[in-house]
Amino acid sequence: MSSQCSDNYTGKAPAVWPAKVNQIPKEVFGDEALFEEELKKIFYGDCWHVVGHFAEIPNAGDFKTFDLGRVPLLISRGKDNQVRVFFNSCTHRGNQLEVATSGNRKEFECPYHRWLFSLEGALTACPGSKEFAPDFKQENFGLMEVKSAQFMGIIFVTMGKNTPPLTEWLGEIVPPTLSTLLGGDGRLKLLGYQKVRYDSNWKGYNDNDGYHAPMLHTAFRLLNWQGGTTGFQRMTKNGHVVFEAELKAIQNNGFVNDPSLVEFKGSDPAKGSRIVQFFPATVMVKHLDIINLRFAMARSHDVTEVHYAYFAHEDDDEAMIQHRIRQSSNLLGPCGMISMEDAAIFQRIHIGNQTPGFAEFQKGVTSLSEIPMDVKQNDETGNLPRWEHYRKVMGFKREGEK
Amino acid sequence: MSQTITAAHSAAIDSLHVAYLAALDKGDMVAWAATFSLAPEASYFCISTENDRRGLPLALMYDDCRGRIDDRVSFVTKVWVGTYQPYRTRHFIQRLSCEAAGNNRYRVTSGFTIMMSAEGGTTAVLTSGEYRDLIEIQGDHAVFCERRAVYDADVLPRYIVFPF
Repeated sequence: MSSQCSDNYTGKAPAVWPAKVNQIPKEVFGDEALFEEELKKIFYGDCWHVVGHFAEIPNAGDFKTFDLGRVPLLISRGKDNQVRVFFNSCTHRGNQLEVATSGNRKEFECPYHRWLFSLEGALTACPGSKEFAPDFKQENFGLMEVKSAQFMGIIFVTMGKNTPPLTEWLGEIVPPTLSTLLGGDGRLKLLGYQKVRYDSNWKGYNDNDGYHAPMLHTAFRLLNWQGGTTGFQRMTKNGHVVFEAELKAIQNNGFVNDPSLVEFKGSDPAKGSRIVQFFPATVMVKHLDIINLRFAMARSHDVTEVHYAYFAHEDDDEAMIQHRIRQSSNLLGPCGMISMEDAAIFQRIHIGNQTPGFAEFQKGVTSLSEIPMDVKQNDETGNLPRWEHYRKVMGFKREGEK
Repeated sequence: MSQTITAAHSAAIDSLHVAYLAALDKGDMVAWAATFSLAPEASYFCISTENDRRGLPLALMYDDCRGRIDDRVSFVTKVWVGTYQPYRTRHFIQRLSCEAAGNNRYRVTSGFTIMMSAEGGTTAVLTSGEYRDLIEIQGDHAVFCERRAVYDADVLPRYIVFPF
């Protein structure tokens, strides 16, 4: 038995974090007021957020809607083939402009007073404007655009005033793995979605998605499926984690009737598994022949919504596309043979974290005072630089820190 | 409803539906798999309305052969044991249409609702949807050659263990 709290438990995140870098106060997962601060400092702050991929809206007029925190976004491909991200709000009285999750439009019309916007965001019609305020100018009332940038088709947005350029924010470690994860060039073809809400804090989701110890997954043992030892985890100081691992081909021992579920047919057998875990929320995975971008939305302090989007590559032949569909549907995601168990952990860990004390990181910890940047494939310390970044962004002091 | 169906065939189809929902409501995956044809091409798909409507092929469960149906039994009974938060379900269905497809086969659609009761928790709607089935009468009973469960929720309220 251990006792870690001398004061009464409040459930509120402590202003001062422990000096030991491998301890995360569990209160950060359940503190409702903290979520409001996170919205301000992270989700609406100087940080890039993944909201989609070009392949979801391949044609002019295609759009999708998405939320950044509580802010509704409208992501549209214009007639000029440019992808733009707007606030999903009519510039007149603020009515939600587009209600569909996705679709194709010639223009966007607000039904309230029939204001009409082009796919590129210009206000093209507003009935009765002769009687509008004296300073009204139609050209000033186009849709409000959110600052966006892209990497191989991944759409990033930021509402921060001082967000660094995307290339700087991604750093040097992320792009090589991310490129391979995206099929080398990001020319992807959407296969479909699995969308789910988890009763989990967004940090608990991000902390436990991506790479973790394989012990959770009974399937690995049942399939006698061993990971290689030549992989790596690399972290950036601003909270991203990049992971690559060798996946040895499984020897079919008869556990599955259909071994194609775990067959690797792609051209990258040496490194079958690649993960990019972005700060703050989104995780991207290439596992076997699955290309899976997990667009995560922090809904509240205890709900995280994840849109698992799966892709093929534009150059795939029909057989490869079919293989990807079959593998993607049943292996990863909220009902996948492997990832259902991850999903269970997201929710169980959220319940367990409503208790005093710390989430304790152990495997790979070599120093209690230094943030580890040199981490082995199976260490759990890869998460600690992200926690350090989070602590600094949120302004939590460390014990003994002035 | 088609005039060509006999009372015996109609009763067999009803019994199949009952056997299916009774299996899932008991959490009996072997009994669930037993409602499908033993033919290698027997299939079960569970897919969102969004993917289905947009022609996106990806599913939540994509069991396009008998082997995969049996593998799904193993996922629940062997792989996932002890990891997930238990929940019980109640399935409610109503037949919407039934058309003869030849060779003792019928195309049947039904609406479904699934209630879920989490261990230690309250009862809530998991989702609703539509079953689109190809059912074959084999002797005095019926089996699914194909069942496509198209669920209504754009976003599911939890991760999923059992088929719909």
